[in-house]
Amino acid sequence: MFEGLNFDAVTLPDQAEALRDEVRAFLADAMPVDCVADSNFNEGHDPEFSRALGARGWIGMTWPKRVGGAERSFFERYVVTEELLAAGAPVCAHWIGDRQSGPLLLRYGTEAQQQRFLPALTRGECFFSIGMSEPDAGSDLASVRARAKPVAGGWRLSGTKLWTTDAHRNHYMIALVRTEPTSENRHAGLSQLIIDLKDADVAVRPIRNMAGGEDFNEVVFNDCFIADDMLVGQPGNGWEQVTSELGYERSGPERFLSAFRVYVELVRVHGPEPDAPAAQLIGRLASHLMTLRQMSISVAGMLQAGKNPGVEAALVKELGNNFEKQLPELARLCVAQLADDHPFRQSFIRTLLHSPSFTLRGGTREILRGVIARGLGLR
Amino acid sequence: MDTLNLILDSAERIFADHCNKETLDASEAGTFATALWQVLADNGLTLLGLSESGTTAADAYRVLRLAATHALPVPLGECVLARQLLEGAGSVEGLDGVGTLGRAAAGQGMARDVPWARDCDWILIAPLEDRSDGDSQTLTLLTAQECTVQHGINLAGEARDVVVFEAGAGRTVQCSTSPTEILEQLALLRVVQMAGCLARTLELSIEYAQDRVQFGRPISKFQAIQHQLAVLAGEVAAATRAADGALERLGDPRFQVQLAVAKARVGEAAGVAAEIAHQVHGAMGFTHEHQLHHYTRRLWAWRDEFGNEAHWQRQLGRRLAAVGADQVWDFITRH
Ligand SMILES: Cc1cc2nc3c(=O)[nH]c(=O)nc-3n(C[C@H](O)[C@H](O)[C@H](O)COP(=O)(O)OP(=O)(O)OC[C@H]3O[C@@H](n4cnc5c(N)ncnc54)[C@H](O)[C@@H]3O)c2cc1C
Repeated sequence: MFEGLNFDAVTLPDQAEALRDEVRAFLADAMPVDCVADSNFNEGHDPEFSRALGARGWIGMTWPKRVGGAERSFFERYVVTEELLAAGAPVCAHWIGDRQSGPLLLRYGTEAQQQRFLPALTRGECFFSIGMSEPDAGSDLASVRARAKPVAGGWRLSGTKLWTTDAHRNHYMIALVRTEPTSENRHAGLSQLIIDLKDADVAVRPIRNMAGGEDFNEVVFNDCFIADDMLVGQPGNGWEQVTSELGYERSGPERFLSAFRVYVELVRVHGPEPDAPAAQLIGRLASHLMTLRQMSISVAGMLQAGKNPGVEAALVKELGNNFEKQLPELARLCVAQLADDHPFRQSFIRTLLHSPSFTLRGGTREILRGVIARGLGLR
Repeated sequence: MDTLNLILDSAERIFADHCNKETLDASEAGTFATALWQVLADNGLTLLGLSESGTTAADAYRVLRLAATHALPVPLGECVLARQLLEGAGSVEGLDGVGTLGRAAAGQGMARDVPWARDCDWILIAPLEDRSDGDSQTLTLLTAQECTVQHGINLAGEARDVVVFEAGAGRTVQCSTSPTEILEQLALLRVVQMAGCLARTLELSIEYAQDRVQFGRPISKFQAIQHQLAVLAGEVAAATRAADGALERLGDPRFQVQLAVAKARVGEAAGVAAEIAHQVHGAMGFTHEHQLHHYTRRLWAWRDEFGNEAHWQRQLGRRLAAVGADQVWDFITRH
């Protein structure tokens, strides 16, 4: 009836379901012993685990074989990602490259860039960060100020990126920067550059978050030289390129599974015969989760069909983020007083402390509602 | 276009042409929508899901969802389900006129909340509870002369009558569909009807927001209104997917779980949607004259019929608890 509100039926193909068992068997062995199961995709940076996944062919699964991909379907990728998240595996290292940077390079990168970065990405040896936000450019992304000026053989880049997840651990960042002065059209004159985070003229400073972790960073470019061959796509085309990533960025299972381990512990606390209020909550949360999952699989189907489901992805993220924020809030009221070192409390506390980020990262709730409103023809 | 789409297309025209605000008001004032029913019958819509109609049970539910986008004030869904039950029991002789479906406890001779029983030529009474001996079930087919009807209404002003009949009244038919399965079919009926009502509620709200001007511009230009409508759209999209999920699993082993998901999720969406729709419509939406309440009151009524959200949430929760914490994910992915 309205654009973006149709989530057609998609059944995961048998091939994808068969893969599910493989992933579970793999996880039974490969989950690092000291890993705290956490379904938040931003937690758990473990290069060794990522390499093991790469060895199985589970990074860059949908990419062509010529760049190290496995030419598998979006459904198979969907199954692998949801299994990893549900188990609480440490996926952060390769997550952004697999979800976003790789597909971006495949779409806009040169052959040389693809050959240089993608095979290493699929092996879990090369990790990417997203360089969009800046001190004065959050939701209003088009107001980025990092400025690259053309020089012989490349660009000189100055400015600051902020909140760059894992810039201190990863190898590269794809940054959205201004390559021409600001004009009437705010979306013009932006470009995407690949930045070597180990460059001497790039200063990376971790920022401690409220949960005590040091995951995101400030990244300062000190008149840093970026060679021509690190430009992604066309100069000035950065806005179009960056917005094309959003369907991938917003619709996946990481947008509603972040609090899943709390759910598992909630079920465990109440045992096989929960009282009525506990049964009701367990069922209520499942009714949301199972519906969101079907919606997300439906979007995977749209991606598989080559569509760009921007509004549908925004809807999944908006509903999903609200769900993953509500889950610990509701669960807490349904569990008797427990010590903070009880598995339920541990999972709850970790998730609660990270929950403010769920409706911020990847586009805030308010921005997503704006995208949905546009899909409804209101803007 | 495939057959279902052809049927949906012509049904949409029939519903739009023959059911309007006056039909709804007249029905609430106690006048049965006889003309509407006649058109439905003439066009074969009362035979949906029967083998002679060339449509499946799932097709029937899809047409019934569409009917709910017009809030048809007739027991079309109940009539269709009753006929399917009879056909399933091998009792295929022609039944004319208006029919409905009710449920009664064994030996009680009384069925409550029977939609439009007062206006029906025949009423099929199904058992309320599963029999402990697991034997086949007895359906009772009553004509209007074989029972007395006490009038009642639900909060949407839809007829929900009490049907009283004597032991041995009517014709009995043995059927293999269990009372639980019959309850599930009725719950699914309300699920798809709520999905239809939800879509209509969103449509009305968007139209109203674009037409209504305050402070010199359509209220749809205010971000606060846009965000409310975005939330409403999210609820409608989720409810539609949940309802479709149940329809897609009709007749397969995953159906029971998905029905619980759907009745719980759609019922929750109904409350949120009605609240937002009324807020966006201002005082106009609070008037009897405006059509919005025909949809929002149905949402409020239907979410309580055949098990409210709490009922289905508990049922689903008990299943998940029974499989255990380390298997809940597996359970979710297999349904
Ligand atoms: C854990 C975490 C990891 C992150 N990782 C990365 C990363 O790796 N790379 C990266 O580039 N960025 C990253 N971000 C940044 C993230 O993209 C931004 O936080 C987000 O875009 C919002 O920007 P902001 O924080 O500056 O908030 P602001 O844009 O200042 O917004 C503050 C509040 O105002 C609201 N608001 C803003 N504009 C409007 C409007 N037009 N209408 C209504 N309300 C509005 C917002 O919704 C929000 O509620 C990360 C953030 C978090 C929390």
